[in-house]
Order: sequence, then C-alpha cells, then structure tokens
Amino acid sequence: MTKKYPYYISILFIVALVQELGLSHLTFYHVSPDIVTIFLAFISVTIGQKAGTSFGFFAGLLTGILSGNMGLNMLARTVEGFIAGFFNIPEDSHATTKQKSKRLYGAIVTAGFCANAVLVTGYNPLALSPAYRIFVLGFLESLITLILAFIITRLFLKKSLAG
Amino acid sequence: MQKFFTLFVRYNSYLLFIVYCCISFLFIKFQDRELLTKLRTNGIEFSAFITDKMMSYNYVLHLKEENDRLMLINTDLLSRVLNTETAALDNRNRQKILADTTLNASKFIMARVVNRKFSDRENMLLINAGRSDGIKKDMTVLTPQGLVGRVTTVSEHFAKVMPVINTDFKVSVVSDKSNSMGLLSWNGGREFIAQIENIPISSSLKLNEQFLTSDFSSFSIRGIPVGKVVSIKPDKLFYTVEIRLAVDFASLTHVLIAPLKIEPEKLEMIGENSSGETFP
Repeated sequence: MTKKYPYYISILFIVALVQELGLSHLTFYHVSPDIVTIFLAFISVTIGQKAGTSFGFFAGLLTGILSGNMGLNMLARTVEGFIAGFFNIPEDSHATTKQKSKRLYGAIVTAGFCANAVLVTGYNPLALSPAYRIFVLGFLESLITLILAFIITRLFLKKSLAG
Repeated sequence: MQKFFTLFVRYNSYLLFIVYCCISFLFIKFQDRELLTKLRTNGIEFSAFITDKMMSYNYVLHLKEENDRLMLINTDLLSRVLNTETAALDNRNRQKILADTTLNASKFIMARVVNRKFSDRENMLLINAGRSDGIKKDMTVLTPQGLVGRVTTVSEHFAKVMPVINTDFKVSVVSDKSNSMGLLSWNGGREFIAQIENIPISSSLKLNEQFLTSDFSSFSIRGIPVGKVVSIKPDKLFYTVEIRLAVDFASLTHVLIAPLKIEPEKLEMIGENSSGETFP
C-alpha cells in the first residue's frame, strides 16, 4: 500500500485544486460538494487512520493556501481524516464491496459533518447562526457530498473497493 | 520505558492527530506573521491565476454567446443614441424658433411635423398639436422663415396642414417695396417655386422683391414672408410671377401656429367663408 503513496499525494494535489478552483464555486444554499472529504475518507477507510490524518493535515494545508485560511483548514481536514479513520477496513478483511462502500459513505458523512463543525466555529463569513450552519448547512453539505461520492465510487472507485 | 513505547505504538494515531492539531493551532495563532501571510498571498495569487485562465478558456468557448450579448447591448445603445440625437435635434430646432426675435413666439403654438404626404400634385403635413392644444381650422402655420400653410383638419391631438405647395392653397400677398398685390398659388412641379397671379402690368415689381401675406387674406395674419421674386413674365394684362418660397419644405421639422384671425364682420361683408381665398 505504501508504494501507492506518491500516486495518492499527486491525487491529493489535483483534488485540492479541483475543490478550491472548481467545486467551491458550485454553491447550493451556501454549501458546495466537497471532493477532498471523499478523498480523505477513501484514504482513511482503505489505508488507515494515521494515513488519513496525515493526508488530512496536508490537504488542509493545500486548500488553506489556495483559499487563504490555512490554520483552520488544516485543523478541520486533520479532524476529518482522523474521524474517517474510525471507519477503516483492515487490508486482510473479507468485507464485500457493498460493505466497504457503506463504510466509505459513513466515513464521508461523519467526517464531513465534524470538519464542517470545526470550520463553523472558527469562520463565519456569512454571519449565519452557528446552530443553523452546523446542523442545517452541515447536513446539506454532507448530503450533496454523499451524492458526489456515490457518483465517484460508481465511476472510479469500484475496483479499489472490490471485495 | 517498555510500557511507554507500547502505549506510543498503540495510540500513535492519536498522538499524530494531537501533533497535527497543535501545528494547526500554531498556524491559526501566527497566521498574520510575514511568512504565513506571504504563503497565503502566493496561494491566492496562484488561485486567481488559474481561475483567470479558466475564465479565459470559458470566455473563448462562449464567444458566440458573448458576441450575441454584445450585439444586443450594441443595438440597445444605438437606439438610445438615436433617441438622444433626435431629442437634441428637436430641441435645437425648438430653440431656433424661440430665439427668432422677428416673431413673438409666445402667442404662437409650437408643433412638430410628424408626417408628410408628398406627391407630385398633393402635399399635406401632419403636426402633433390638435384641438386639445388650442388648434382650430384655418389657423395660419408658419416658421420664422415664412408661411408654411394653414390648418385644414383638426383632431384631438393632431392637425392636418395644407402647405403653400398645395394646388388648392391660395393666399393674398403683397410685395414689400412696390406694394404690388397678388394671389399666391402653387401649380405643382418644383416644391420651392410658387406663382403669383393677378399682378397688373402697370405695377413696378422687380426681381428679388419680397412678398408678404397681406391684410386681405381671410385666414392669414399679415406680414408673414412668403418668398422672393425670381422671375417676372409679362402677359396681356398681368404679370406671371414666380417666387422662391421662403420656407424650405424639405427640412421642415417644427412649425408655429398663429392665433386665428377673428373677423366675422369682414367675412360677412365679403360674403365669403373662411375656407376660400379671394383676390383683393
């Protein structure tokens, strides 16, 4: 698995760019789908919590540099990677593709929700109420990210999640 | 020691998480430091550069739509410019009439020529002033340059004017120097040349003499310039005189309508209604 690290790192760069320069502009009720969350959840679920946390930290650094809010992004993404790590499937497990997919989706929703909560506490550009942002917008963001994750797993991750 | 390492290995993901969190907090705390600010600025610059490039590709891809949009804006602006220019021209013409000191324009009603029917034998003007503006049938229509015609039909907001260059139009005129009197009419043809009939051979009329409307006219106020003599041909008893009309009908945009002459007793004495013009 460690052989794939350079490949994942390059993917991380692309994903961070796509998120900050493309998807973050596709807002729907103040929220946008988060491809970085999907990527971090995938890393945490397939590789492990440590890798997920580390990738989260660097993903936060990259997105922070691009968005201009480094520290908070790093913290939120680190939390994201760490939380998603609890959904990790060991390499030697005999889980089916369906089970793995379910875990991945669970990791995306949970980690995304937590990361959103961290971001909300530290940054409120639209001056919305924190409860509204955490529960309503957090739920909405998780939902549209889940839809995007569903599409991405169907198109690109089918092989990686094969049982 | 062994126990510590066991704990470390067992919970290293937690430790890693704490380390990363601490670094993140340090970034938050020192986010205004020069190094971090520079890093952030470069990041934003890079982000802006990429967005700009993407936008320019997007622009190229949507060039047709952009052209269509610009064409629409262009059309809109063109119509606005035309409207403004027309308004400015109207205003200039209006000012020109009002500035003319030879006329007391305050007594007159000003109107704009909104339509014109012109054929070889027929010529009618439509002005944008009607009954609601105080226009009445047989009112004299003029400009500071001279006589235009007379009102023949009036509606609520518009009036039809029979211009001098209409074969049915006739008006009594008098020359300013020799006081030769005649009847102005137009026989068709060139729109700037009219004829004056019934000037006796005995009159001392000369070329370039100016003709004005006379007091004998049943509708027109006296003293309105009509034109200058350009040709005098003697006949058996009368001269056949051609005059160049004072008003340029080709560029007529604004007119003045003079108040109606109220001379019922005179009309009664002559026994003529106001629609016709008799020779003095």
